[in-house]
Amino acid sequence: MANIDAFGHVTGTSIYVDDIPVMQGTLFIKVFDAPVAHGVIEALDYSEAEEMEGVVKVFSYKDIPGENQIGGIIADEPLLAEKEVHFWGQPILLVVAENEIAAEEALHKIHISIKELPVITDPKEAFLKGKFLHNSRTFESGNTENAFREARYIFEGSADSGGQEHLYLETQGAYAYPMEHGSIKIHSSTQGPTQVQRTVAKVLGIGMNKVEVDVARLGGGFGGKEDQASPWAAMTALVSWVLKKPAKCVLHRMEDMRMTGKRHPYRSDYKIGLDKDFNIIAYEATFFQNGGAAADLSPAVMERTLFHATNSYQIPHVKVQAHGCKTNLPPNTAFRGFGGPQGMFVIESAIDHAAQKLKVSRESIQARNLMENGYQFPYGQIVEGCEARTCWEELNAKYPIEGIRKDILTFNENHAFLKKGMALMPVCFGISFTNTMMNHSRALVHVYSDGTVGVSTGAVEMGQGVNTKMLQIAAQEFGLDASQIKLETTNTTRVANTSPSAASATSDLNGKALLDACSQIKARLKNMLWVKNDLEAGAEVRFEGGKVWMEGMEEPAIWIDVVLDALARRINLSAKGHYATPKIHFDKIKEKGHPFAYHVYGTALTTVTVDCIRGTYELEAVHIVHDFGTSMNRLVDLGQIEGGLVQGIGWMTMEEVAYNNKGRLLSNALSTYKIPDIYSVPKEINTHFLPTDNNNMAIYKSKAVGEPPLMYGIGAFFAIAEAIRAFNPDAPLHLPYCAPMTPEKVLMALYGE
Amino acid sequence: MQVEVSLTVNGKLYKQNVEPRMLLVQFLRDELRLTGTHIGCDTSSCGACTVLLDGKALKSCTMLAVQANGKSVKTIEGMAENGALHPLQEGFHQEHGLQCGFCTPGMIMTAADLLSHNPSPNEHEIREALEGNFCRCTGYHNIVKSVQYAANKMQAS
Repeated sequence: MANIDAFGHVTGTSIYVDDIPVMQGTLFIKVFDAPVAHGVIEALDYSEAEEMEGVVKVFSYKDIPGENQIGGIIADEPLLAEKEVHFWGQPILLVVAENEIAAEEALHKIHISIKELPVITDPKEAFLKGKFLHNSRTFESGNTENAFREARYIFEGSADSGGQEHLYLETQGAYAYPMEHGSIKIHSSTQGPTQVQRTVAKVLGIGMNKVEVDVARLGGGFGGKEDQASPWAAMTALVSWVLKKPAKCVLHRMEDMRMTGKRHPYRSDYKIGLDKDFNIIAYEATFFQNGGAAADLSPAVMERTLFHATNSYQIPHVKVQAHGCKTNLPPNTAFRGFGGPQGMFVIESAIDHAAQKLKVSRESIQARNLMENGYQFPYGQIVEGCEARTCWEELNAKYPIEGIRKDILTFNENHAFLKKGMALMPVCFGISFTNTMMNHSRALVHVYSDGTVGVSTGAVEMGQGVNTKMLQIAAQEFGLDASQIKLETTNTTRVANTSPSAASATSDLNGKALLDACSQIKARLKNMLWVKNDLEAGAEVRFEGGKVWMEGMEEPAIWIDVVLDALARRINLSAKGHYATPKIHFDKIKEKGHPFAYHVYGTALTTVTVDCIRGTYELEAVHIVHDFGTSMNRLVDLGQIEGGLVQGIGWMTMEEVAYNNKGRLLSNALSTYKIPDIYSVPKEINTHFLPTDNNNMAIYKSKAVGEPPLMYGIGAFFAIAEAIRAFNPDAPLHLPYCAPMTPEKVLMALYGE
Repeated sequence: MQVEVSLTVNGKLYKQNVEPRMLLVQFLRDELRLTGTHIGCDTSSCGACTVLLDGKALKSCTMLAVQANGKSVKTIEGMAENGALHPLQEGFHQEHGLQCGFCTPGMIMTAADLLSHNPSPNEHEIREALEGNFCRCTGYHNIVKSVQYAANKMQAS
């Protein structure tokens, strides 16, 4: 089934926040942000700005009626800076004017004097200086100390991965207006409506019941609007609340890039130990997470790094440690994969390191060490329904690895300045919020008296197709045509206390709650039909094709007749469904438990060609075997694979977030920050479905698909590295495991001594 | 200061006073309420605001409204005719050439320019035409397929 938003998208009628018709008297907000990365505000004068034509008021933290606090997990982040600034781009003042141009002009009339303080941009430096955002953590299994004593081969090194700008094409934004009874309504481009609601209530000092947040859709999120949609929503709410007028704030691209956090850059050290047969028997890693100036979601991101530190590999002795380091970058935040990719990059680097030294192929070490059912993850969960080897073997059957390697060798022998490389990338990704209490959801279903159905859930549509899947569920359960079902906006007054649309879990959580709501209504209808038709209680009743078929009745009833009958009998045709993922738990003291409902597996084979004169590269093909379970929408799921893969490749290759040593973002626009364009994506992407049907924790056994494919992109880094080595066998010395592998770095490695 | 501009948008003539520094994209979105043309960047890099100006694809954030005086503009809202989707719109719908939808109108308008002078482009020509349009959700493959779908359909009819 095609994306249900497709018609709106192709006709330009889909509504994003900036498209909502504004009411008369709407005020526009521009943010005055810190022009340095760290310092003490000594003087701040905005009197001239406030007197400019069209300017209504300039807001500082002093105008906040509630708490000046937007921190999600840890209360460590002000909405507007008070005495100090901690990152370049930190909001300090809000200029409010009758139009955006007047607000923009007034920004230039604000005078600030800041006494600059030392700036830290490197997490290892922060670590050494004892600057932390949250507690360090260690996951441990077996005994690495003993195991390293027994290991035949030990390799140590470091691996760093860079940040990544979300670059959702729709920038952050919100529109707020006052409502009756001292309440407020906010249209926000957020993945977390409840998070926005909670933040606004806190900033205004009012109850959450006075704050209504509504989300129609997002022009992309990727994690960037999980926690970081809240500030802009809170700003519009603040202005609207104080001035009793509608207020709008939609960031321009350069403001968005400057003021918002990104994927966490990590610096990491690893130590890997192998036995004589190249089985990995011990692995240690220390992760230095660059959290930026406030905690934001960093503790949760760091946790997921630890959960995914061993990727798909079965390693008996593991000790992985992570530190959340405080630096003077904008608070880094969720980004598809949520710390998992950063962890996986390190073990893949360690394996690559071992393979180079042992003069064997990477894939020979990878294949030998893939996990099997029964293995216990370092965090205690027992591996079940493992498809790591199945995916790998299926890929090898379709694209024989040895043959491809031979072709590459032949090509490389015959080309002096073009070299090919390949890499395999297995992925094992855990599905559930690692914070167990977030794994619950609700849905509200109304069957109207004409037989049509309205569905509200806590899921936010951001292009991932979740609303299409929700509609499919309602249509399937009631046996109705898609045209009979409408997905409503995501609204906190209809579905409350939601978890953000994140962690790949949105379809599972909201889908199962929706299933529950539909089942409740169906149960009432069944009961009515049994009684009415004198059938045995429990007789099968099927809802299909707009009809209701009953065991023991020759003719089906028509859906609308059943609905009208139910209403005549005063039966409730609305239901609130609820779902809480069963069986999951995690003990943060012991660092053991069963945090994930299930895992998703897959393997990708990436081939590249490097131009050894220019340092540029082309991705020839990526072949993937992916464990979808029983996909409920192949179109949508394939789109997630392709988009996730390309985003992962971008992170590993061309997307370079660059700050100078003063903490100023240099890659501050789409002209200086390169995301994959239509040329830089793999020429061929072949995704094969590994159909499995053993997973009841996934909605209709259709496994989560949002984040896992991003990590296939890691293969691009190692494929390019291999091509470089084919040209310059000495390259390893000059080729640190430092992503992204930009063409500049490739060129340096090609000609390094 | 206000300046009068007169331009045709989606076949309808508009005469209006605008600020001389108003961008064409702002004119379309804020004055005419044609919000299908999106703004994605400040640097004319992303292509989300692409419209047709006298039949040629143009990033409407690179031009002032007054510069479009006397010209004819077509936006995504003008693509469907008499309730029937343009083959490109149908193509993006059928081939799943979209996810969040924010880049979609710009993609369609750019592709419309391509098909107007090259009715049966090969894959390379499609990619060449769309190189100034970013999509952050897909891997572009379905976008290429969507354009091919439209080209085939337009050739057939």
